[in-house]
Amino acid sequence: MPEQEKNFNVRDKIDMSRIKRRERTDKIFKTIFLIAGILSALMIILIFIFVGGKGIKPFLPGYEFGQQNLGKFLTGMTWRSDQNPPVYGAAFIVVNTLISAFLASVVSFPISVLTALFIVKIAPKKLRGFFTTVVELLAAIPSVVYGVFAAGKITKMVNSMAQHFGLTTHGGLSQLTVSILLAIMIFPTITSMAINAIAAVDKNLELGSLALGASKTQTNFKVVLSAAKSGIFAGLILGLGRAFGEATAVSMVAGNSMTGPTWNLFDITRTLTSTMLSGLKETSGLDYDIRFSVGIVLMIIVLITNFSIQLIKRSIGGVSHE
Amino acid sequence: MKKFSKALSVGVAAVLVSSTLAACGGDKEKTGNSSKGTESEKTTVASTDKVTEKKTEKPTESQSEAMGQLTTINVYSRDEASGTRGAFEELIDFKGQLLDTAAIVESNGDMATKVGQDTGAIGYVSLTTDFEKNNLKPISYEGVVPSAADVINGSYTLKRPFSYVTRAKGDFPSEEVEQLVDAFIDFINNSTEGLEAVHMEGGIVDVDAGKPWAELKANHPIVDQDNSAIQIRTAGSTSVIKTLDAAINAFKPLAGNVDFVSDHNGSGDGFKRTLGEEKDGANGADIGFASREFKDDETVSQGAYTGQYAQDAVVVVVQKDNKIENLTKQQVFDIFTGAVTDWSDLK
Repeated sequence: MPEQEKNFNVRDKIDMSRIKRRERTDKIFKTIFLIAGILSALMIILIFIFVGGKGIKPFLPGYEFGQQNLGKFLTGMTWRSDQNPPVYGAAFIVVNTLISAFLASVVSFPISVLTALFIVKIAPKKLRGFFTTVVELLAAIPSVVYGVFAAGKITKMVNSMAQHFGLTTHGGLSQLTVSILLAIMIFPTITSMAINAIAAVDKNLELGSLALGASKTQTNFKVVLSAAKSGIFAGLILGLGRAFGEATAVSMVAGNSMTGPTWNLFDITRTLTSTMLSGLKETSGLDYDIRFSVGIVLMIIVLITNFSIQLIKRSIGGVSHE
Repeated sequence: MKKFSKALSVGVAAVLVSSTLAACGGDKEKTGNSSKGTESEKTTVASTDKVTEKKTEKPTESQSEAMGQLTTINVYSRDEASGTRGAFEELIDFKGQLLDTAAIVESNGDMATKVGQDTGAIGYVSLTTDFEKNNLKPISYEGVVPSAADVINGSYTLKRPFSYVTRAKGDFPSEEVEQLVDAFIDFINNSTEGLEAVHMEGGIVDVDAGKPWAELKANHPIVDQDNSAIQIRTAGSTSVIKTLDAAINAFKPLAGNVDFVSDHNGSGDGFKRTLGEEKDGANGADIGFASREFKDDETVSQGAYTGQYAQDAVVVVVQKDNKIENLTKQQVFDIFTGAVTDWSDLK
């Protein structure tokens, strides 16, 4: 018996056909994954090509509805397609969009980060589950529902607030309403990203800080938050992306002003998305194509914002666990 | 650690700066508007006694607030692609002159909701809107309260007709087409079914004046054949599409499933493609539509049939508490072009 065991050769037990089969399955799956990856990458390229091509067309010579002036489009402060010829100036819309998204994140970002810190590090276990569920539920609410809420409730609030200052609003349709709405909408996005980031912070970092004599609060703010900054800023990027890209809800409360930029918070505003959306289903020709140009502007702004947040992130924070 | 505390202090400073900035902005707004505020107070003082009669039950503070709100006119309009806006701007004759500060809303329902929520608002909706439910008050135009009856009898003038014209007698692609067009014109003008269909899509017609199609079709024996191979081409106004489609869908099964091809690009085509220069081209049509009266140089009398199958009315609306009852065309023009920006200037 022992001799037999001694002669045991593992190579005899290897069934080459089985291995081949497994290798083949591996290969097949590899190809499937590759195709999925290529497909999703293609989607982005397709969208860029399609939107880009259609959006650039109005500025090229020989455009069927009359070539537009790119400079005027990028610097214009009036958007009126009812003029003859129509006036399309997107600069003030860009400013309005930036203001509303910026205000929204100024309000939402600190609250989100503190909420996440509370949920992960401070709240008792039972509360933690409850709050996490609440945040997840908030994230799952469709934007049109937020829009209805904003159109029905936030507008009234803003309107009475304006009356306190002796100002009038268009029934509450205003830059401020848009900002509040967006702040509410991006809160769950930033919070849930921050929760994940904070929960992923190495426990040893924290223990180290505590062992060195730092208080809990000091540890939370100086060690945990800065170690989680990468994820938190990813949340901010996602949140800003939502703020820039939100169309339905924003259109319901923006009021779509025709000139700008809107500096008065109680005045009506117009964002890039609301410009693209309003009347889209009924329009054609130049007025339709120019919305694609607005889409390009929006994509560029989102890219620039993401890039600058990356830069800011690099300059903030000292603890690194990457 | 040093690096981080530095960053933190930078962050705190940024927050402080931004908050002070925001506060400053708020102050500026207040001071900037204080002069405006006193002005509007002055104007309100003049008309205060009128208001106190009706609003005695309200405390003085909210009264002045309500008045302050009432003085500025908030103009609402639809987006440029809207047919109602097209009709309204055409009728008041201010195409391209809408004031810059007007808010743009998404749809007729959106307009109704938003004007209903804003005490200083003015907007326009189609006559089919539910005014009561949306907290709206329909404004009389040139002294006439908007109603379907007054649109039909012609006394309410903020309206436009849906006009049609057909090709000249004998100029149709075939005898069958001519007979079917004849039947369709009869259907949309005189049959209960046709009028009902147009009415359901918001066209203003007198449904009670219709006769059952079963009675009318005796004059049009062709509808009893199978007409699915025959095509009737329509062209012209885009505003008529909803009501026209409804009528076509009601007509088809009653007329041997005749085929309709609709290519609508604007009222100008209505005459051009049936009797004008494009009538024999690829775009020629058998029935042309315009959402206005035909012009003098559009010699529609050459056509086999011409007339109006429905009317479309626009109603100027304000919030229910507004005391305005009646506006003239000039006043509406002044408000929507920004010549008048204050409710008190209207009186």
